[in-house]
Amino acid sequence: MGMTPLAAIIISLQAKLTVKTTLPTNLSAKQEHAGGWGRCTVQLSSLGGDSVPKKLVTIEEEEEHCSRLRANVVSRLVMADSSALICEENQHENVPVYEFMDVNSKEFHIGAFRDLWLDVLNPKVYSYSDTAPEIEDVEFIEEMGIESKTLEELKSICSVDSLRSGHEGTDNVPSDLHLSTLKLRKRRQDYKETLTRYTVDRHEVYANEMEMTSVGKKPDDLRDLIPEGEIILTFNIMYPILFRRFKFVRAYQTLHVLGSQKLSDLRDAICCVSDLQVFGEFSNTPDMVPQFISKDHYKSAFFFFNGTFFNDTRFPECQDISMTTQEWTRTRDFPEFKTAKMEDTSFYDLKMKVGFPYLYTHQGDCEHVVILTDVRFVHQNDCLDIKLYPLITHKHRVVTRKCSVCHLYISRWITTSDALAPTDPCLFCDQCFRMFHYDDKGNKLGDFLAYAYVDPGTFN
Amino acid sequence: MSRKKLCEYYWAPFKSDCEELLGRFQQTESVRYEGFSAIWREMDFSGVFFGTQSDHEKRYFTRLIFTIAYRYILPPYSFQIRVGGLYMIYGLYNTQLIWPKEKIRIALKDWYDVQKLIADAKSCQHLDVVYIFKRLLSSKAFCFTAMPQKLTFEGRERVQHNVNEEFRDHKNRVTELASIEMLEEIANMHGHYERLKKSSVPPSSGVTLLNLTYLVQKCAFEYQQWQDKIAAEKEKNSKKETTQKSESSSRAVMLAAIKSKSYGHVSKGTKSRRHRQVEMVTPGSGTDQALFSQKRRPPSLRTRTWQNFGKPSEPEQTQEWLLSVMEEDKNALKRKDIRRFKWRNNWL
Repeated sequence: MGMTPLAAIIISLQAKLTVKTTLPTNLSAKQEHAGGWGRCTVQLSSLGGDSVPKKLVTIEEEEEHCSRLRANVVSRLVMADSSALICEENQHENVPVYEFMDVNSKEFHIGAFRDLWLDVLNPKVYSYSDTAPEIEDVEFIEEMGIESKTLEELKSICSVDSLRSGHEGTDNVPSDLHLSTLKLRKRRQDYKETLTRYTVDRHEVYANEMEMTSVGKKPDDLRDLIPEGEIILTFNIMYPILFRRFKFVRAYQTLHVLGSQKLSDLRDAICCVSDLQVFGEFSNTPDMVPQFISKDHYKSAFFFFNGTFFNDTRFPECQDISMTTQEWTRTRDFPEFKTAKMEDTSFYDLKMKVGFPYLYTHQGDCEHVVILTDVRFVHQNDCLDIKLYPLITHKHRVVTRKCSVCHLYISRWITTSDALAPTDPCLFCDQCFRMFHYDDKGNKLGDFLAYAYVDPGTFN
Repeated sequence: MSRKKLCEYYWAPFKSDCEELLGRFQQTESVRYEGFSAIWREMDFSGVFFGTQSDHEKRYFTRLIFTIAYRYILPPYSFQIRVGGLYMIYGLYNTQLIWPKEKIRIALKDWYDVQKLIADAKSCQHLDVVYIFKRLLSSKAFCFTAMPQKLTFEGRERVQHNVNEEFRDHKNRVTELASIEMLEEIANMHGHYERLKKSSVPPSSGVTLLNLTYLVQKCAFEYQQWQDKIAAEKEKNSKKETTQKSESSSRAVMLAAIKSKSYGHVSKGTKSRRHRQVEMVTPGSGTDQALFSQKRRPPSLRTRTWQNFGKPSEPEQTQEWLLSVMEEDKNALKRKDIRRFKWRNNWL
């Protein structure tokens, strides 16, 4: 099994682009600080005009005094700040920032990121319950040192009623247009009215449907509630680029996982049609189609994140399929890659870049591009049932291919080099296949090769 | 075209709306919420949500405007603009039309800046700023994330995040330099220096030691006075100008009206371009249709053949026949121009 081009691209991308970003160390920060002070003194002297003191003894001694003083002051200032600098440095390493603006972020450790947030947030802010308004009022009064009368006044000024618009109907654009957004919308509305026929993109109509079914779901059993302060990661998993049709459209599924879950949970939740394939040629024995599917046979898989291959080692049949790639990279000019176990790593242990494409391979050569799109805290309005995670929120809908004969049933057989069929390859449903290719006694008619076909649209 | 990409066209108009709102807020020269809400009601800003029929288009749009409005809370904008941005977010969150409500994403790197803003407001006793922020927190409007938007590695038009120069925070470098802590440090250093000198070296005459702290303070004060003087002069000038401006602006409006009417007079197109007719622009209508189709199709094989092998100067002799239509019906042979909706109309 050789290196597939996709895997090669992804690995080389990661190897070349993982730039270790270290922030200025303590030493350079000190120097900068000292330099700043030096600049400051120069400015002062220039401001003063003829403030340079006249020569006392020698210029060198004078300078020595000055430098000693400066060092003294600087060291005092730096002592005070050094502890703050060390803290800031640790903070900076894990605060996600853009590596390329609007494209992806730099690498950061997810567990440390969560800790940073928890340090700065009041737990009430991310809890699921709301505090009573009276308690909030009392706290506010105490914090700001004001009277309750002032608070009442504040409330009346800042209430939501102050934002209400005069118009009641929200479906149509109001007639008095002042905002440019509304002008654009009105133009589009008028244009739509000139059209005789308006086709609706079905993908868009049902785009959010899956997400909406799971929003706000609370579990029956309180033990299944997601703990507060948990991180939710959102992964977009692209379908493997084996279909020529998908050149123009990015077909992906979106999965939400919790930070405490393991990588193997994510692996189990990914639905790929290649997992369901059945191998073997069955033209001679159409009734003996075996019941096993590829998912049960070929269990190895790996994730590739930031220079580490995470292999699935749960079953004895699993092999380390990343070894091929690693051996290949050793012969070429690539940095060393590490391996780890999928089922032992939770997402909190990972260092990831947001928005950067990673790789998931299973079945030996079925490769998926995996992008981490979002890392955020769990919110009151999310689905709070831990049993439902990893949660699928979006799946690209693929058209199911029907039988070529009846156009009614979903195809189950695919035949090649078939003298009887109009096209090569050709799809048949079970009944049409038997009626077409076999006679009453079950003898094979004609010359053909038949394989079991699993439609990509089975996951719709 | 997916809805998401279509919604991206609202970026520029919404940004200009935000800038108008914040510009008006800046002119009030205060950070009071009352002033802000008066401007909001006047502009009827909650109407940005009106007019969309489908639910998920509303959702995409709401997410987009939160992304745009969110940038105004962060540096490098000035304090007043940042407070205005916070009020704007409060307003947009409470007037959105979808349920469950779309949250405001706030990234960790920006949280520190926001906390600093609130701390400044607290120290200056701006009660309404703090109260509004607390209301947003308690209504769980924020979603604490890693990055301010979802990053999907899709090829998108790179949006220019231009910072409006009028909203930018101008650091007063002189006052920063001559701040109280700095002056104290200078005074301490100076004293230390004096003592060291006295102890180590015999005092010699002829050395005039200047009081650096006093000098720095004096310079800073002079600078401040100069700044105030310039500002006062500018105000006086601008007051004079506004009276002149009103006269000139009415003339400008008249001129613009005259010019636009002249474009309404249309010349007849040539016969070969009969199918592409130029339309009249009616001034004053908020909805203009596409005028000329900007995309020119490459010349057809027939025209190319005629040009290369025939006599291009003479018109073609061949006549097109359509048997199913009456001879007098001239419209049948014309190619129907499918008018696409122009999102970005530079005439607006």
